[in-house]
Amino acid sequence: MNSYGVKKAMAVCLAGVMTLMATACGGQKEAERNLISSEQGEKVVVNLFGPMEKTNPDAENIARSAFDQTVIMAEDALDVTVIYRTYTAENYQEKTYDDVTLDRVRNNMDDLYLLNPDTIQVLGEEGGLLDLSGLENAGNLRDIVRMANTVDGKLVAIPQEVVAYGLFVNQDMFDQYDLKLPETPEDFLECCRVFQENGIETPVGANRWWLENFVFAQAYADLYNGGNTEAEIAALNSGESKYSDYMRSGFEFLKKMMDLGYIDAEAAYEYEAIEGEGPDFLAQKTPIVMAYWGAANTDTAYGNPDFNMKVIGFPSDRGQIPVVSMTGYGISANAEHLDEAVKTLDIILSDEALELYSKTNKVISPSKNVDVDCIPALRPLNDKIQENTYVLGSNAGLKVEQWGNTCLIVRELLKGATVEECMAKFDKLQKKSLRE
Amino acid sequence: MKWKKYRKDNGMPLFLSIILVFCILGTVMFSVVRKLSAEMSASAIQNLSESLDLMKGTLEAILRKEAEFQKMMAQEIATIEDPEEFIRSYQRNQTMVRVSLIEAGKTKGVSNIGKKFTEGELNFSAGGMVEGLQVSQSYLNYMGTWAYTMKCPVKKEGREIASLYIEYVYDSFEESLPDGFYDGWAMLYIMDAESERFVLKPKGMGERDAGHLNLEDFYRANDIQEEELKEEVSACVESGENILFYHDIRDKNALNYMWAVNQGTIYLIGYVPVEAIQQEERTVNQNIIIVIVVMLVAFLLCCILYYLNQRQQIRMRKEQEEEREIHNKRLAEALQVARMASDSKTMFLSNMSHDIRTPMNAVLGFTSLLARDAENPIRVREYTKKIMASGQHLLSLINDILDVSKIESGKVVLSAEEFTLSDLVCSVDAIIRPMARAKHQNFYVEVTDIRHEYLMGDEMRINQILINLLSNAVKYTPEGGNIWFRIIGQKQRSNQYAFIRIEVEDDGYGMTQEYLKTIFDAFTRAENSTTNKVQGTGLGMAITKNIVKLMGGTIDVSSEVGKGSLFVVELEFRLPEGQADRRFWVEHRIERILAADSDAECRSNIKRLLEDTGILTDTVATAEEALHLLQTGGSARNYQVVLLSERLLLANGAETVKEIRRLLPEETPMLFLAEYDAEGLEEALAMAHTGMIGKPFFVSALQEKVLEMQRERNVDGRAEKEKVNNLEGLHFLAAEDNEINAEILEEVLSIEGADCELVENGKLALERFASSGENEFDAILMDVQMPVMNGYEATKAIRALDRGDAKRIPIIAMTANAFAEDEKEALNAGMNAHVAKPIDVEALKRAIKECILGKE
Repeated sequence: MNSYGVKKAMAVCLAGVMTLMATACGGQKEAERNLISSEQGEKVVVNLFGPMEKTNPDAENIARSAFDQTVIMAEDALDVTVIYRTYTAENYQEKTYDDVTLDRVRNNMDDLYLLNPDTIQVLGEEGGLLDLSGLENAGNLRDIVRMANTVDGKLVAIPQEVVAYGLFVNQDMFDQYDLKLPETPEDFLECCRVFQENGIETPVGANRWWLENFVFAQAYADLYNGGNTEAEIAALNSGESKYSDYMRSGFEFLKKMMDLGYIDAEAAYEYEAIEGEGPDFLAQKTPIVMAYWGAANTDTAYGNPDFNMKVIGFPSDRGQIPVVSMTGYGISANAEHLDEAVKTLDIILSDEALELYSKTNKVISPSKNVDVDCIPALRPLNDKIQENTYVLGSNAGLKVEQWGNTCLIVRELLKGATVEECMAKFDKLQKKSLRE
Repeated sequence: MKWKKYRKDNGMPLFLSIILVFCILGTVMFSVVRKLSAEMSASAIQNLSESLDLMKGTLEAILRKEAEFQKMMAQEIATIEDPEEFIRSYQRNQTMVRVSLIEAGKTKGVSNIGKKFTEGELNFSAGGMVEGLQVSQSYLNYMGTWAYTMKCPVKKEGREIASLYIEYVYDSFEESLPDGFYDGWAMLYIMDAESERFVLKPKGMGERDAGHLNLEDFYRANDIQEEELKEEVSACVESGENILFYHDIRDKNALNYMWAVNQGTIYLIGYVPVEAIQQEERTVNQNIIIVIVVMLVAFLLCCILYYLNQRQQIRMRKEQEEEREIHNKRLAEALQVARMASDSKTMFLSNMSHDIRTPMNAVLGFTSLLARDAENPIRVREYTKKIMASGQHLLSLINDILDVSKIESGKVVLSAEEFTLSDLVCSVDAIIRPMARAKHQNFYVEVTDIRHEYLMGDEMRINQILINLLSNAVKYTPEGGNIWFRIIGQKQRSNQYAFIRIEVEDDGYGMTQEYLKTIFDAFTRAENSTTNKVQGTGLGMAITKNIVKLMGGTIDVSSEVGKGSLFVVELEFRLPEGQADRRFWVEHRIERILAADSDAECRSNIKRLLEDTGILTDTVATAEEALHLLQTGGSARNYQVVLLSERLLLANGAETVKEIRRLLPEETPMLFLAEYDAEGLEEALAMAHTGMIGKPFFVSALQEKVLEMQRERNVDGRAEKEKVNNLEGLHFLAAEDNEINAEILEEVLSIEGADCELVENGKLALERFASSGENEFDAILMDVQMPVMNGYEATKAIRALDRGDAKRIPIIAMTANAFAEDEKEALNAGMNAHVAKPIDVEALKRAIKECILGKE
């Protein structure tokens, strides 16, 4: 461009700038008389009680973000606002989340609840939860899910994911000491012995929540996989069989582990899940921990280890076996916003929402219509589940609540109770259930 | 450079001024923005404080109302007979979820939810009070929500009969707080000060990615790790004071607040991003930034425009400077040229002054001597001879000057007339050979490869070229030197043109290379000790060059000092139509010629030249061979012309030649081919029908000679010649306005035995002729430039007269207008001949004779 052309362009630019400034100086439209826009009609509110608060879309915690996305789907579809009410215990001495949940359901404080298996059973039996069988999307559920959440013939809760618990092992360390991944409790103890002999004082990292999975694996491997499940459950519910008979071997196994120092009982009693034992596992000081499926996909848990990690089932006489548990959503039978809560839950549990949730969190979906690929580390566990080889950590069909009670009794064991004292507690619980 | 200096002097200060103005403007803008920002921050803090105060006031009002209601209830209970039943029957509402009563002196009491109530469940140790009532530390109640209990004594007649405990839930505050704070940007919790536990997050009060349990969790989640800050907060919480501080929350600058409610028993705690409370600041800042950016853009554009303008001005200035420099250079060159020209002309004038004064001095000197010695005829003849020589030299000088002037002013017109190389060479030879001989120089003329003798061109000018070159050669060659004059035929470029190369070579003084560069410039002359005795105008070579140029030819010179010079002129001449006039030879019955020359080149030259004439040519090398040829078989009759080189005559003596002559028929011409100045031919030429033609051989020369010899045979030329040789008895009418010239003319004619009648102008001449008798005058001598009527007009008028001799009478122009075109104009006006002034008596006589002969 010659200089004349440049000058011309400059002149046009200057004119443009002047126009821009002149436009910017222009007056605004005259304000209306009433400066406050008329109030919008109040939105219908659905109160959701859960352990976590509602998050921003850009929140780092992927699990909660996935749940929030499904909630947003419901909010958009129904034009409701889901308000999160939360409670988190400050320490183990405080009321647990489950305690608070029970109180809140019983006092009709909220509409929707995220419930742990033990509270599902308690509240189901009390009649505090709405029968969800009528939900449009209830028909999509896998049978196992339906069975685990049915109390007195009523489907009282539905989970967003099937939570499978397994052992997270450091394959590299097993290879280092030429150890095979344990199939039976004896194998497991032998592995621990070898690790300990090689300087790893506490081969198993444990917390106050998940040690019970060892007990469930050994107690119910036959019950759920022996082909006589219903009859055995009926015998337990009628008192013909004793829970303590089922549980004893598991408790003895744990006791032995504690006695041999394979588990640090004192630490385990106070450790919160993952927070306590996780760092040592990731630092390869501990070759074995226990956790849920999703932990293998979550960077904040065990999603990105520096070693070859495998997730396997807990040892039992039937070999490795996953423990399946479900935290489900239930609706208070006397919910203030019952209809909206039902509709909201129906959308949250739709195949579309469950697919979004499962794919985001890479977890097993409760819907038989949603399949999700799993990462290589989870394949051993996934293979067992696909073979229908697993035990339920919670079953609302059993009169004695399993997940919460066993957890508490294991804590007793951790505090120094004998196996016999623990078994007596189970017998007491069974008696109580028979009385009710 | 000048322009740079200019730029430095004028551009930079202006540029710096602009920068300074914008810097000041920028500083002012920056200060304004800062001040505005500070004011808006203060305003935002004020606004936030007021909002928090409002919420605090609301919560305290609720607490007061709750306390007042509880007091009223206590008063009511004091009046009831069965207070426990009253308590049991109380239905909980959204605010008061549990009502309990412990009678005085008891540790357990009743509660409306049916369970036994003990004060041990509650912690009143923090000492919180509302309206005089004790407030417990917050706790998680039976409903799974955070609650507090106020304790109110139930007094009857001044005696405390029981304590009323009412449990209130924090959830009840929610309805009294706004739905969202700063459009949902702000986070707000209600914290129990004693336990530092977060007991309520009102709905709409922000979202976050970690559950907040207590103050420590709040610190951790929001990365508030500064110990000093934490201690300061703790101190404020302990003393029940408000605290507001800036701290980044998730990488955003935020205002964190902790607002004490009810003397600090509970706190409003949270944060709000600064951008949320200062949205208008952001808008204002954005607008200011837009204004600044626009200003910067405008400034940049101004700078660019200024720069472009400066650059253009500099470029223009530079161009002007360059133009001026070129102009100055040209002027300097022109001045130099002018000076050189002036110097040349000054030198020329100086030379001319010398050259003109010298002969003029001789003329005047000898004229004065003539006046003194008028009585002495021998002296008079000697003086007049010298005056004549000086006058001739003066005339040649003037002619040269005029020639240069004419050529330079473009007034020269070349004529294109037929001429023969023979005549050309002959005339040049005639002039140069005597000059060369005078200096004892050898002058060689060589003609080779010429196919065409008849050419079209300005013979006079070609002559001038050759004379100039050759006379220079003679001048600048010392005595005894050699001069070669060569005419060489070149390969024709076109059928209609002959291409001829003329070489003039000498072994004379030669010229320096410096001089060669200016040799063709006017007013230059080789000056050195050897040549300065040579007279000349210095214009000869300039004239030569210009004439050659006019003819479309080229002239080159090569020379070396002491060795001589070589001038080469190449010219093209148009060939006349109907060349090689064969008819002449047929008419004169010349079919065969015998040529004898010892030089083989000459023989082939003769043969080649005669090819086009249709004549058969036999050539022999010696006279004996010629004789032998003529003797055999009576072939002497077969030859109509015999050419013999003079060399053969000199070599073989006259006898062989005489024998040849004897063998030839009487009418057959025998011609000697000889140099013009050849000597020793007199005896041979005395023989009948024997003549001489000059070397080199030309057909035209042969033709002319044959014609001449035939004419001689037919006419008594000698008698005729004598008759016309003088002007005896002729009577002229002469028109001449200059008295001296008239007098000279009259005198010259009277010497020749003629007389003339003089008139002063053309008109008088016309009148005199008109009044004269038939054939009274033999001719009219007419000056051209005359007053009243000039020569041309007078001639036209005479020719127009209605009388018998008006058309016939010869009119001869006598004029100082001596150029070819003047002659042409004279002839066009009807004159018969043209004689240039000053009057050459011989030329005048010749012209008169031609006219009168022609007339007869």
